[in-house]
Amino acid sequence: MKTYTENSRKTITILLSFFCFLWFLPFLYVVINGVKTRKEYNLGEFWDLPKGISILENYEYINDRIDFMMGFMNSLLYGAIATTLAILFASLAAYAISALKIKGKMFWFMLIYSGTIFPFQMYIIPIFRMYSNVDLYDSKIGLLAVYTALCIPFCLFVLRNYFYSIPKELVESAKMDGASDFKIYVSIFMKMAKAPIAACFLFQFTWVWNDLLFGLTLSKSAEARPIMSSLSLLNGASGTNDVPSALLAAILASIPTFFIFLVLNKSFNYGFPTTSK
Amino acid sequence: MEIVKSKPSSKLSMKRKIEKITPYLYLVPAVILVVIFCIYSDFFSLIVSFTEWDGLNEMQFIGFQNYIQMFQDPNFLLSSINTLIWVFGTLLIPVFIALLFAIAITHVKTQSFFKIVFYLPNALSQTIAGIILTTILSTYGLPHLLGVMGFESLAKDWLTVPYINTLIMVVSSGWQGIGLNLILFIVGLNQIPKEPIEAAIMEGAKGIRLYTKVVLPLLKPIMLIVLLMSLVNSFKSFDTIWVMTNGGPFRTSETLAVTMYKEAFVNNQLGYGSAIAMLLSVTVLIISWFLLRDTFKGEE
Repeated sequence: MKTYTENSRKTITILLSFFCFLWFLPFLYVVINGVKTRKEYNLGEFWDLPKGISILENYEYINDRIDFMMGFMNSLLYGAIATTLAILFASLAAYAISALKIKGKMFWFMLIYSGTIFPFQMYIIPIFRMYSNVDLYDSKIGLLAVYTALCIPFCLFVLRNYFYSIPKELVESAKMDGASDFKIYVSIFMKMAKAPIAACFLFQFTWVWNDLLFGLTLSKSAEARPIMSSLSLLNGASGTNDVPSALLAAILASIPTFFIFLVLNKSFNYGFPTTSK
Repeated sequence: MEIVKSKPSSKLSMKRKIEKITPYLYLVPAVILVVIFCIYSDFFSLIVSFTEWDGLNEMQFIGFQNYIQMFQDPNFLLSSINTLIWVFGTLLIPVFIALLFAIAITHVKTQSFFKIVFYLPNALSQTIAGIILTTILSTYGLPHLLGVMGFESLAKDWLTVPYINTLIMVVSSGWQGIGLNLILFIVGLNQIPKEPIEAAIMEGAKGIRLYTKVVLPLLKPIMLIVLLMSLVNSFKSFDTIWVMTNGGPFRTSETLAVTMYKEAFVNNQLGYGSAIAMLLSVTVLIISWFLLRDTFKGEE
């Protein structure tokens, strides 16, 4: 019996290792070829190791071609600010819904949460029209506002669930001491919710960073364009045939999400909130 | 609003009114943003879908014409078929294969190593994964290797071959998207209580039968979430296609999300684009209804 399980475990390990290798191959390709020059890549074989490191030339090329750095900074800005604002607004609403005396708690929750139900294809035409009318098309403020609004429902969902778990006695005793509602929000709810807030931040930052659809629809100049829209200019008819530069751009644009991956990696075993975005 | 309406009365009742209203102020920023960007948009799209509108001239109300036009539009029909291929492809790779991998991983010793490698592509965005796989499939990449190995007929630009490119993109997207589902399955499998499984093994269940009869039914809650989440996302596939083929050649690899975008922002048919968005929404809503029904079970 024991040898049977030992043998099958070995077979499984070998099979899994094979698929693992398959899954990892594209990364090898990226790392080996992202540092070559275009000429070296086109004339040599892609499995040859690079003869030198020409990151700087490739970096200059993508900056020239698609304003890489500007897109990168824009997305950092959108990710950081929109996510922070969304968490702030969502936490206020979640606090009202879970702890304050208001009527129709379920109604308010569903009203805000309904933002996650429809696919974003429903939003792009109306927002595009609205922005054209009020001169927000192709502006940083415009994209920030959209990202903030669209991050709110998910944050509300996570924070409301967490706020419900905060013991009522804590709130009651703070009230006895004469603390105002707002003070309780700051010093009890927000203080205790550090972990879910961090989770919201990481997930929503990743979403904003990875967004392509709204960047494509709502921006056209490099000043407002987020990173993924910049990258999408590399491919297709108007794109480049400079493979190493495209790969370098891919590496650089993955740094923030890769960093988040490392952070989240620690909390794998607890399972994490499932986001459908 | 209520302050204005109330007659000037004693200061005390005024104060009480304010106290009643202030809790609602906490909702204001979130509600305003969601109403402007989401709820207004939903209604606007619904209305526009019944009009013919190029965004410049007046809207023309044309009833269900856009919806009728869909079923006569070969581009739309092909796009629907492609979307269904994406949906089935998603059921196959990021759901079924993810489940197989997850089961396999729970049987080996180096769990975390395998988890990390399979999850790694998930640290890339769909856009970036698309760019990477496009370069791999370009002239000097994989096709070149096939040529060197003696399969000259296979050494071509596969992403420009209609229909086959859709299959390639589904696989590419599976490479990127398998990680999250895999992790969720592993978490689910590890959470299953040991007793029922041990009891089943005592009774002689093993191998595939053990899984189909005992383990998978216990995994049902997580399976449901993964399944529905993947289904909804696969109906909305956009990024991968946009960067890998842009829907081409000759609009043969479009999905509904891509067709919607192109009709609205390339062909300036905002009405027709909205109608496609509506159809997509209804489909997604029907699926997510099942998801939400489970999420909110036992809610107030």
